[in-house]
Amino acid sequence: MDEERAITRRDFLRGTAGMALAASLAPEIWKEAAYAGEKTKVILIRHPEAVSADGKVHGEIVQSMVDDALKTLLSEKEPLQAWQQLFNSSDVVGIKSNSWRDLPTPKELEAAIRRRLMDVGILEKNISIDDRGVRNNPIFQNSTALVNVRPVRTHHWAGIGSCIKNYIQFVPRPSEYHGDACADLAKIWDLPIVKGKTRLNILCALQPQFYGRGASFFDRRYVWPYKGLLLGSDPVAVDAVGAHLLQKKRIAFFGEDRELDVLPTHISVADKKYHLGVSDLSRIQLIKLGWMEDVLI
Amino acid sequence: MMIPQGVEGGEKGEISLGISWPAAPEGWKWDGKEEIYRSRAIFDYIDGAGEVYLAYNFKDLFVRQFEKTGYPHIIAELYDMGSSNDAYGIFSLERQDEEAGIGQGSEFGGGLLRFWKGKFFVSIYADGEGPEVGQTILSLGRTIANSIQLTGQAPKLINALPDGKTGLVEKSIRYLHSHILLNQRFFVATQNILNLNSKTEVILAQYLRAEKKVHLLLVRYQDVKEAEAALQSFKRAYMPEVFEKGLLQTEDKKGTSAKKVNEFVLIVFGASNEREGEELIKGTEKKIGEM
Repeated sequence: MDEERAITRRDFLRGTAGMALAASLAPEIWKEAAYAGEKTKVILIRHPEAVSADGKVHGEIVQSMVDDALKTLLSEKEPLQAWQQLFNSSDVVGIKSNSWRDLPTPKELEAAIRRRLMDVGILEKNISIDDRGVRNNPIFQNSTALVNVRPVRTHHWAGIGSCIKNYIQFVPRPSEYHGDACADLAKIWDLPIVKGKTRLNILCALQPQFYGRGASFFDRRYVWPYKGLLLGSDPVAVDAVGAHLLQKKRIAFFGEDRELDVLPTHISVADKKYHLGVSDLSRIQLIKLGWMEDVLI
Repeated sequence: MMIPQGVEGGEKGEISLGISWPAAPEGWKWDGKEEIYRSRAIFDYIDGAGEVYLAYNFKDLFVRQFEKTGYPHIIAELYDMGSSNDAYGIFSLERQDEEAGIGQGSEFGGGLLRFWKGKFFVSIYADGEGPEVGQTILSLGRTIANSIQLTGQAPKLINALPDGKTGLVEKSIRYLHSHILLNQRFFVATQNILNLNSKTEVILAQYLRAEKKVHLLLVRYQDVKEAEAALQSFKRAYMPEVFEKGLLQTEDKKGTSAKKVNEFVLIVFGASNEREGEELIKGTEKKIGEM
């Protein structure tokens, strides 16, 4: 066995809350946990008309959701001021999106981000939206800043498709990170093309997939119109909340926390081993804005 | 999707293993191609998940696609796992839906049919939704299962699990070998603190006791010495403060207990109290003695 100390199940239990694993062991712990230190902010914003019954995403509403969430996250009164805290006009920005066939990042959300980056004064030629081509994309290669945006959904190899997981396209052989339930995904965040560049993480929960089986699984029965976005500067915290949301939906839907293909351990490992962010829910301040019906978390 | 090896098929599908496939189940027509992936080439088909299959000593994968205009494609995957133990194992690893009565063990849920028979594991699903899709998947599965002539035994180690009134959740029984596979279902540690390898046999099972989940992990090593070394390694990493006793109250106020019996290591996670853990350990010991 490697001499490096193993992270064990007990480390998750010791963390009092956090990712889905710990939450599944003690589902009410978030309510009970008392953490006195500074907490990582995650914003959840929802709007009842963000998605219509036919699945159409309303761009203007999504734009206002992103703006309101960012204002709250950064304690600014105007959206532009908030965006200016994160970016300046000389930035070269890669918007790392997700193009999975069945549940891609909505174009409307990508457009909302691009619009505000341009409002900051960033030239259109210095902004690129990409997923699978990021390694060969000159904007990403020369980027000074990244925005990480993707839908939250269950994932066959990682437990959930998370913000952390979204950077797997920055490596030449993604399959090398699929082992052990993708536990070491956070290592990717140390690569030069990525390291220290991510200013904003957005998990799109407009229509999340809360349950799935197998590698190519997509079933609309397990996709629901939550009409929300999760935003934060800490990808691990955003993902921990996202995992918790999917878990709560599974419990509400099935009457139990039905097991995923794998546990999303990569979120806790990103915290405990790679120190990328905070996975412990008791150390996350979740600020909820907008529509509260069936909010679940 | 890369196709490392493939054959153009005829009207009716028959692959080299002597298994017959229907050419047009319920109006879905085979597209005439068969993809074959051998050993590590499985990564070309299912990317990172290939590791899971290789950990079960996977041999070959045969994939066929069936099409019907206006309907989603149906994909059937036939895995030759080399042994019935491992065919059962890969099936058990992700089992959670209701039995579909196909092969020697099956489940069907969310549009995905999975079953095992003999040394084969089969997975059938559609790449979308639509009427008649579910029935066609089941029909295709039955045909394939019926054409597999040889049955096989499930791992004998399952017989060591206490059952009866103990609260054993049948669907939760997983048979596996390696640390990677164990962490897929029940996270113990980032490192291989139980010294699991391709030759160890592991059973993970969940017991529901007073509506609380308790997990029993049973590992059979090659010999007593290996088992002893594994128990020591586990205790050092997981319960150093109670190394001698092998009984620990974890941070969630639940009990973890560990014991070696001959070439077996038995661990109970999440027991509500000392007695509950002891009961499961003793029950397993008794069953091991009867094997």
